[in-house]
Amino acid sequence: MIEFDHVTRTYGAKTAVSDLTLAIPRGELFALLGPNGAGKTTTIRMLVGLLHPSRGAVRVCGHDLVKDPRAAHLHLGYVPDEPTLYDKLTGREFLWFIADMFGMPQRLATDRIDREVDHFELGEFADDLAESYSLGMKQRLVFAASFLHDPDVLVLDEPMVGLDPRSVRIVKDLLAARTREGMTVFMSTHTLAMAEEMADRVGIMVRGQLRFLGTIAELREQMALESTTLEQLYLEVTSGRGGQP
Amino acid sequence: MSGRAPLPDAVRLLSFEDESRLFVKLRATLAWETIRSMLSDARLRLSLVVLLSGMFWAALYGLFVEGFGFLDALHAEVISLLFNTFFASLMVMLVFSTGILVYTGMYCSTEAKLLLTLPVRAEAIHAHKFREAMWFSSWGFVLLGSPMLTAYGVVRHAAWPYYVVMLPLMISFVFIPASVGSIICTTLVAWMPRLRLHALTIGVTVACVAALGLGWSMFSQARVDSMSAAWFERTFARLSVTEQKLFPSWWLSMGLIEAARTERDGSMMAASLFESLKFLALLIANALALQHLAGWVARIAYRKGYSQLTGEIPARRRRPLRWFDRALGHAGFATGRPLRLLLVKDFRLFRRDISQWSQFAIFFGLLGLYFLNLRAFNYHNAYASMIGYLNLAVVGLILSTFTTRFVYPMISLEGRRFWILGLLPLHRDQIVWSKFLFSFVGSLGPCCILVLLSDCMLGISWPLIAQHELCCVMLCMGLSGIAVGLGARMPDLREASPSKISSGFGGTLSLVISSLFIMATVMAAAVPTHLFLLSHTLGPSVVSSHGILAWAGGQWGSIAGALVVVGLGLTATVVPLTLGLRAFRRLEA
Repeated sequence: MIEFDHVTRTYGAKTAVSDLTLAIPRGELFALLGPNGAGKTTTIRMLVGLLHPSRGAVRVCGHDLVKDPRAAHLHLGYVPDEPTLYDKLTGREFLWFIADMFGMPQRLATDRIDREVDHFELGEFADDLAESYSLGMKQRLVFAASFLHDPDVLVLDEPMVGLDPRSVRIVKDLLAARTREGMTVFMSTHTLAMAEEMADRVGIMVRGQLRFLGTIAELREQMALESTTLEQLYLEVTSGRGGQP
Repeated sequence: MSGRAPLPDAVRLLSFEDESRLFVKLRATLAWETIRSMLSDARLRLSLVVLLSGMFWAALYGLFVEGFGFLDALHAEVISLLFNTFFASLMVMLVFSTGILVYTGMYCSTEAKLLLTLPVRAEAIHAHKFREAMWFSSWGFVLLGSPMLTAYGVVRHAAWPYYVVMLPLMISFVFIPASVGSIICTTLVAWMPRLRLHALTIGVTVACVAALGLGWSMFSQARVDSMSAAWFERTFARLSVTEQKLFPSWWLSMGLIEAARTERDGSMMAASLFESLKFLALLIANALALQHLAGWVARIAYRKGYSQLTGEIPARRRRPLRWFDRALGHAGFATGRPLRLLLVKDFRLFRRDISQWSQFAIFFGLLGLYFLNLRAFNYHNAYASMIGYLNLAVVGLILSTFTTRFVYPMISLEGRRFWILGLLPLHRDQIVWSKFLFSFVGSLGPCCILVLLSDCMLGISWPLIAQHELCCVMLCMGLSGIAVGLGARMPDLREASPSKISSGFGGTLSLVISSLFIMATVMAAAVPTHLFLLSHTLGPSVVSSHGILAWAGGQWGSIAGALVVVGLGLTATVVPLTLGLRAFRRLEA
């Protein structure tokens, strides 16, 4: 469902992502880990079409993000690290705007909006203007918007920032259920515990290169550190002491 | 993996018309909500805006009726030249302003980031942001142009068709420079990312130099023979460059002049109207063609440009003014080190915030340009003094918009960083005082220099210059006191946007009090001086030699005026600051 084909992205003389080749199949929850400046945000931005690769191609459900962005976006849901809303729209009006942009039929849109308002417990404030929302409320609304059209691929950039523990639980349960139904999730996070709990595979990026790709069990195996936590493994990989896993 | 997955059942790609319709609906909802919140939360501001706009419109209308009456009697060709010059200047300004606004809306806004991740056409996003940019860049044109053109119609006794075609002519004209600005902006960002800033800088510099050159060439020799036949001839010759028949500004001028033509013969009148409609058709056709071209450029260049721009890393920051920070940080005046460090920080933030210093530079630069050209005419003493005071008031009014827009929100924004400042060995008073000093010290230099420039160009005597400078110092001090004091008295700690903080009740109140303070200060100084000059230049018969007017026009009147100015300045500084300091000490962050 997601395909990075020898993708390189440079910023002037600096290479942010170097020759990234990665394929994520249907129904997988993939977590991209790495220290600050590793190239995670650049990778996410290329995946949602905000950045074009300097070389290579990024495809979602077979649609090239540069050549055919609109078709690719129909399959995509995106939750950015900083929620973007219209201050002078209510939560419900924002959901309607997104549903309309995806060309959803009225009746289906009504059902889906009610469904997501219910899922993310937005009922109390869905008819208030977004300018009065807290960060957590905004983040829940953006989650609801990204689930409206039942995307094949969901891209999450630091998704749990600002969410309270109950909302985090709701999101985790929903992600687990949707991936079982076939949705692919690409998540960038610094929360190792969440990656350990949720991810089918993890990728660890260091200075623009994918240092490790596989399951956590495979990482343990390759690092020959049987009983260590993901945190210790991560620190080993990103420090460079452990060499190439 | 490379095979394409079928589209989900629930979704479909919209047509361009559907996308545009959704954006129009979005814009309408946002506008309605904004008006509704203004009606409920910002009635004072809304009433002031409507009232002042109405007054501004009426004053302009009156001025233009007088002006057109005079010019109409003088020579009809002058009107054509005036229209051509006015619309050609506006055309250039609209190209720049729309280009800048399109750049801000399409490449720097968070909304663009959201829309680019939705299945929407790039050209639909462009059309949405273009409409917004055009609205913001051209409302001034409508506010300035509508009283002018209405006055022209009234003076020319134009028939009703003139008023019918006036608005379509203006709107279709506005689309042309706006589309050009948009095309230039989108092209520059996509294909010349590295040259973008340089190109923009060169463009603006060339435009400024051209404007300066034109102004200088028009007025440099005018001092000797201003308003003479030779002066008019020279001016005509220089401005005839705006009468090119390929300029949309010429089409607009001709369209208006033809529509306003009053002929006794019905068929002649129909012919004039037909001519006007031809110009309207020409404007509409070009507007549509350029709109189409702008959309096409956006389709191929917007996403590419956005990616280019997002991918640029900011150049390593040079710090040419480090010496200034160091000098200020070590300055030995009696402010205390923490306060000096706060000042250094505020000056740094100001320098690095392009929106602040660029607006400051543009407005004060334009004022400077205007003052430089004051030498063009010979003035009577009393008249020169009156213009000097009006210029002083203009400097004060522009400064008040800056203190309201940029200084008033400073305390609110600082309040959001209480977690940093609260842990530092700082007294809260020092934060308030540092803002006051920043505003006062920062505004003093530019304002005093501008007032001095205006007075020198007007040939005003040194005692009067000293009085103007005293007023200017008091204005800088008082306006800083009002903005900082009220900002500390009514902080808005929840809001992160300075523009929203300044447009709230407190910001509006600050602007109103500032305007009243400026008027009171200028009047207190100007009235005695004006009476004094009138009695000394035109003779005592003009001004009564007894009573309050005689006293006010005498030496003691001038001294009393200066004392009132100082009193007003101190009151405007001390009272709001005391209130602000008291409230800020009690504030729970």
